[in-house]
Amino acid sequence: MEAFQWQQARSPAEAAALVTQTTAEAMLTLQGTPSAQQAILVKAGGVDMLDLMKEGLVNPRRLVDISRLAELQGISREGDDSLRIGALTTLAQIAAHPGLRQSHAALAQAAAMAASPQIRNRATLGGNLLQRPRCWYLRSAAHHCLRKGGGHCFAFAGDNRYHAIFANHGCAIVHPSTPATALLAFHAQVELLHPQGQRRQVPLEDFFVLPEADMHRENILAAGEILTAVWLPPQIQTNRSIYLQVAEREAFDWPLAAVAVVVDLDAAGLCQRASIVLGAVAPAPWRARQAEALLTGATINGKTAEAAGEAALAGATPLAQNAYKLPLLATLVRRAVLAAAALPQDPRAS
Amino acid sequence: MFPGARAFPEGELTLMKEDPQENEKSAAASVLGPGAVPIVLRVNGETHPLLVEPRTTLAEALRGSLGLTGTKIACNQGACSACSVWLDDLVVASCSILAIEVGERRITTIEGLAAGGRLHPVQEAFIAHDAVQCGFCTPGLVMSCAALLAGNPHPGEAEIQTAISGHLCRCGTYPHVVQAILALADAKGD
Amino acid sequence: MDDEFPRRREKFPFGLAHLGLDEVEREIPADEPPPLAPNAALTQIGKDIRRWDAWAKVTGAARYTVDVHLPGMLHAAVLRSPLPHARIRSLDLSPAASAPGVHAALTVVEPPADGVPTVLRYVGQPVAALAADTPALAEAALRLIQVEYEPLPFVVDLDGARRPDAPIVYPDSEWQKSPSAGLPAAAGDLPITGNIRGPESKGSRGDIGAGFAAAEIVVDGTYHTQVQTHCCLEPHAIVAAWHEGGLDVWMSTQFTAGVRAQLARHFQLPLSRVRVRAEAVGGGFGSKSQIGIYGRTAVALSRLAKVPIRLVYRRDEEQMDSGNRPSSEQHLRIGARRDGTLTALSLHSYGSAGIAFGAGVGNMATALYRCPHVESRQYDVFTHAGPACPMRGPGNTQGAFALEQGIDELAGKLAMDPLALRDVIDPSPVRREERRMGAERIGWTQRKPPGADQGPVKRGMGMAQSLWSANIQTNAACELRLWRDGRVEVLSSVQDIGTGVGTVLAQVVAEELGLQPEDIHVRIGDTEFPSGPPSYGSRTTASITPPARTAAWQIKEALFRSVASAWQVDPQRLTVQDGWIHLRDEPQQRISWREAAAALRTDRISAFAGRSDDYAGFRSRSGDAAMALNDLGGVQFAEVAVDTETGVIRVERVVAVQDCGRPINPLQIESQVQGGVLMGVSYALLEERILDTNTGWMLNPNLVDYKLTGAWDTPQIEVVLLENYQGFSATDAYGIAEPANIATAAAIANAVYNAIGVRMRSLPMTPAKVLHALGAVSGGPR
Ligand SMILES: Cc1cc2nc3c(=O)[nH]c(=O)nc-3n(C[C@H](O)[C@H](O)[C@H](O)COP(=O)(O)OP(=O)(O)OC[C@H]3O[C@@H](n4cnc5c(N)ncnc54)[C@H](O)[C@@H]3O)c2cc1C
Ligand code: SF4
Ligand code: FES
Ligand code: FES
Repeated sequence: MEAFQWQQARSPAEAAALVTQTTAEAMLTLQGTPSAQQAILVKAGGVDMLDLMKEGLVNPRRLVDISRLAELQGISREGDDSLRIGALTTLAQIAAHPGLRQSHAALAQAAAMAASPQIRNRATLGGNLLQRPRCWYLRSAAHHCLRKGGGHCFAFAGDNRYHAIFANHGCAIVHPSTPATALLAFHAQVELLHPQGQRRQVPLEDFFVLPEADMHRENILAAGEILTAVWLPPQIQTNRSIYLQVAEREAFDWPLAAVAVVVDLDAAGLCQRASIVLGAVAPAPWRARQAEALLTGATINGKTAEAAGEAALAGATPLAQNAYKLPLLATLVRRAVLAAAALPQDPRAS
Repeated sequence: MFPGARAFPEGELTLMKEDPQENEKSAAASVLGPGAVPIVLRVNGETHPLLVEPRTTLAEALRGSLGLTGTKIACNQGACSACSVWLDDLVVASCSILAIEVGERRITTIEGLAAGGRLHPVQEAFIAHDAVQCGFCTPGLVMSCAALLAGNPHPGEAEIQTAISGHLCRCGTYPHVVQAILALADAKGD
Repeated sequence: MDDEFPRRREKFPFGLAHLGLDEVEREIPADEPPPLAPNAALTQIGKDIRRWDAWAKVTGAARYTVDVHLPGMLHAAVLRSPLPHARIRSLDLSPAASAPGVHAALTVVEPPADGVPTVLRYVGQPVAALAADTPALAEAALRLIQVEYEPLPFVVDLDGARRPDAPIVYPDSEWQKSPSAGLPAAAGDLPITGNIRGPESKGSRGDIGAGFAAAEIVVDGTYHTQVQTHCCLEPHAIVAAWHEGGLDVWMSTQFTAGVRAQLARHFQLPLSRVRVRAEAVGGGFGSKSQIGIYGRTAVALSRLAKVPIRLVYRRDEEQMDSGNRPSSEQHLRIGARRDGTLTALSLHSYGSAGIAFGAGVGNMATALYRCPHVESRQYDVFTHAGPACPMRGPGNTQGAFALEQGIDELAGKLAMDPLALRDVIDPSPVRREERRMGAERIGWTQRKPPGADQGPVKRGMGMAQSLWSANIQTNAACELRLWRDGRVEVLSSVQDIGTGVGTVLAQVVAEELGLQPEDIHVRIGDTEFPSGPPSYGSRTTASITPPARTAAWQIKEALFRSVASAWQVDPQRLTVQDGWIHLRDEPQQRISWREAAAALRTDRISAFAGRSDDYAGFRSRSGDAAMALNDLGGVQFAEVAVDTETGVIRVERVVAVQDCGRPINPLQIESQVQGGVLMGVSYALLEERILDTNTGWMLNPNLVDYKLTGAWDTPQIEVVLLENYQGFSATDAYGIAEPANIATAAAIANAVYNAIGVRMRSLPMTPAKVLHALGAVSGGPR
């Protein structure tokens, strides 16, 4: 790791004023070696930041540490019953929060499944949403790929077993955040503080950026902008949610595919609204709109759940090595829909 | 089905306490490094002034400057938890934290676990159940298990497995680790 | 044999303890102790004694090489090839050598000179190294080394390397300079065509054509196994201190004495001037057997800088350049008669050990079962990848995956129970008993036909066998010291890499001396002591415990003589128990161990013993290594649950029935076996070194994407241990570390077949591969 300066920000506004680039910008180079140590970057828990710096993928001149800022901590309930999760809330705090575990089960479950206890104790929600993707070419200083400003993507002709099957044109990263999958299913918004002092709230869906729009970033965070909180709109009492993932390891592993499902069932058991978001299969958490449409107004049962699983695959363009994600997703969606509606997992299973 | 969605407990604001003095101090501090910076680490109940570059990880500071080599570095990337220490009451991977950001928080390392020469019960149990082979992952595992028991004296098997889910042990001590902690959990039963 | 030495005849317990013991008569050297009783009659041996170094390890006090800090020590860093195949046009160290804080720099490869080019053959190959005041300065200075590389065409995959137009790894006979990866290093004169070297055909016999002609049933399959890396938690590490008087080295090694010999040879120093220490070693699994290029580099830097040098690998260096288990592609054909007897077995295997050779996997197929006609053709395929080296059960672990699935498949075709088939074809009475015990423990009778479960999650049960030779290091010795204050020390250079050999030594000595294991001071891992065996080849316990017992017995005899002369009795009348020496026939005539020691003529007496030959001789020997007459068996059973909709395999339970001669510490053995099984589960389901075919780089050179089993992936592991007495040595103990690893992946694969009715012939058995095998995926590669 290169040497750098250290500065503890005294307020989010100060951090915003100090920070000169986003981490994604600082990782862009023409030659492949981040040379000029220009950037002043912001660090929260530092889990991803240190990882990138150890590999030499980013060499900031200075780190501005926001990890001790009180304003950015904590989970609170706001006037209109929405929830505000401070950007520095750790994944461990989210996973263990009794209120969240009830009202937003899928989010607590997703947070609990991400990484290890040690990392969850440090990883902040803001940092988690803003971490760089895990594409192994991106993470290797030896591969100067498109997303780092290079000339081509190594994944297409290389090993793409873990890559995206949706929106994977040009670059096939999958979004690394496990909680994001659940957050999107709850229609979360992020609150951003601009260096000039303006705050804006952006729906998570609009926050993420697909490769077709911009290959060099995963989100619209502007240089100097600080993510201050994540907002969860008020939930309807009847909603039920679940997060499911499949990984190669039972625990402490990145998912091969994941899904978060939120459904509102009316008294008659009809599905009023369904939100189905796929994880680890696209450059951003991926809404399965056709599946959502299919369930809306329908009774949830084995048949409709299965149809939703099939519909979730619409538009997939798997690469040479990752077509296996299709049956995986179909299964996950079917199971998650049934589980969210609290129906037996699979009629054939018993 | 989800009554909690309405009855969301009030006052769950887990804000850190505002400390005006703390703010004063950091105002003075401003930009540090990139060269060595004086810091103070509170480790195992002792206060250690030391000089570290901002890039020094906590694991490096413990092992290097303080000579506390019981904390091991195996992946240097958060992937194996061999470097686990306690930051106040939380188990963290010391390879993924900078020494400079620890501040006033208490660090407990494996060297600080055996109080006054008497082994911690987890250490005793590891020995009794042969939950040690090459031993390189062991200090980290001991720290995780001790933290688990501090918060939950009677963990079940799944809780133990979750508590150690971040650890890699190439020698394969997991079964004996779980057995050791289960025995402790039972023994503690009153 | 040592004919000039007097010998005597003794009767030894013989057979499997739980079935009742016989006796066997052996001729043994006169200076070795009388036969040891079976474990049931002993007080320390065969008991779950606490690990000798557990206290140090649970408190963090144990000192590993990475913890060694010497005054004035510098930190080394290695410049590595960024290209899988390249010629070095020019190499200039000087800008780095004169950088701030740098005190020594050298080239690791021969620098290009007078038209002799320097060729690099894998990403990560060491090019140069330097030493600086801090690790950060050293890493920074590496960037100042000027190297001009000329990229050459390369190939890193097995298929690509076998194509006629493949880039060639070694022109001419240059491969002979390459390291060996495996078992009986098949270094000899084998033909080489392109990148393919071989076949090596050891174990072939009979007429394979006639064998298949005589077959009534034939099974045929192609199996793939991946490259696995050792992933020792402690990385490769050395601290080398060159000084006026010679060389002091601390090293994370499996063989202190071997490293000393290699260093002495390489640096032309007398053996007596080289000291190698390994106080605690954080795992080895085969990868820390040699001094290696990195070890020599650190020593050379120390000689240059005249100060101690520390070289510790980062995890990525560890993954790319510290050895690995070679891959294999095995074409297995087995012919049998309807009664199960094998008529023919042919195994053609291509494996890549990268730039090394020795990827053969033929041992299992040629030796495990009775078969008159066997054809083994083992080919090494060179690729531009980091060199392999031995890894836990080298060759056999890969071989078992194919062979044991082939036999399972054959049983299916014969409509025989896999156990019954093995009763027909496996000559080993020990494994027969192991099959019986394992079947009983796992509940084999509950086993259903393949794919019988309804519903998406299907359970299955399978088993597989292992074979490993019982190895001995004949150059293995220890010293026993008795001090006047009663302290007993056992000294040997043998190192404890986590196997618990220190505990075992204390037990053996304590048993002989009538003391407690904690009374025995174990001083090992230092070549200042008599040369001990390596911790590889499952030979440590087998090699070092007999001399330890012999030396203890000799010390006891000496002390008895001293006491006997004071008491004016025949020393033969003395015995020792619970720390008291007394007359056999008059127990009240006694003296404590301490008092007896206090009466010694000198401050310290000492006995030295080396490993004698096995009492019944060896099957073979070469250099310091020998093979005992017996083999080590091992049969493992696995129960799995396969989610056919996600492809996830969950190993729920493994029953491992193992033998290691006389078990000395069942608890430690259980730990070892659990470790072997877990490494096998990991190999079966998760691990894979992934090289990018377009750049030659390892894509997962870490512990994030290179996946090892964690606590949640751990099945319930039940270890059943046989006591197998043969009267072969003073302790009759053999090894277990490798046999415990060999059968696991095959047993899991057979269980998966039993669950889903589809054979998984490629490792690791990931969800993706399972879904493909089940036909759930349309398109895409295997
Ligand atoms: C071994 C391992 C396994 C993992 N497994 C998982 C997993 O399964 N699922 C998962 O989701 N994650 C996983 N992670 C990733 C981990 O969760 C993230 O690295 C972590 O959440 C990042 O949070 P942080 O607070 O440490 O962020 P930092 O490292 O501090 O920052 C990350 C990035 O966000 C920026 N940033 C941080 N906070 C703000 C803010 N408030 N405003 C503006 N910019 C900001 C930083 O500049 C930086 O670019 C894993 C990590 C490791 C090492
Ligand atoms: S998938 Fe994206 S990040 Fe990965 S190599 Fe291609 S361009 Fe780079
Ligand atoms: S060394 Fe810190 S997690 Fe592996
Ligand atoms: S005991 Fe060796 S890695 Fe855990």
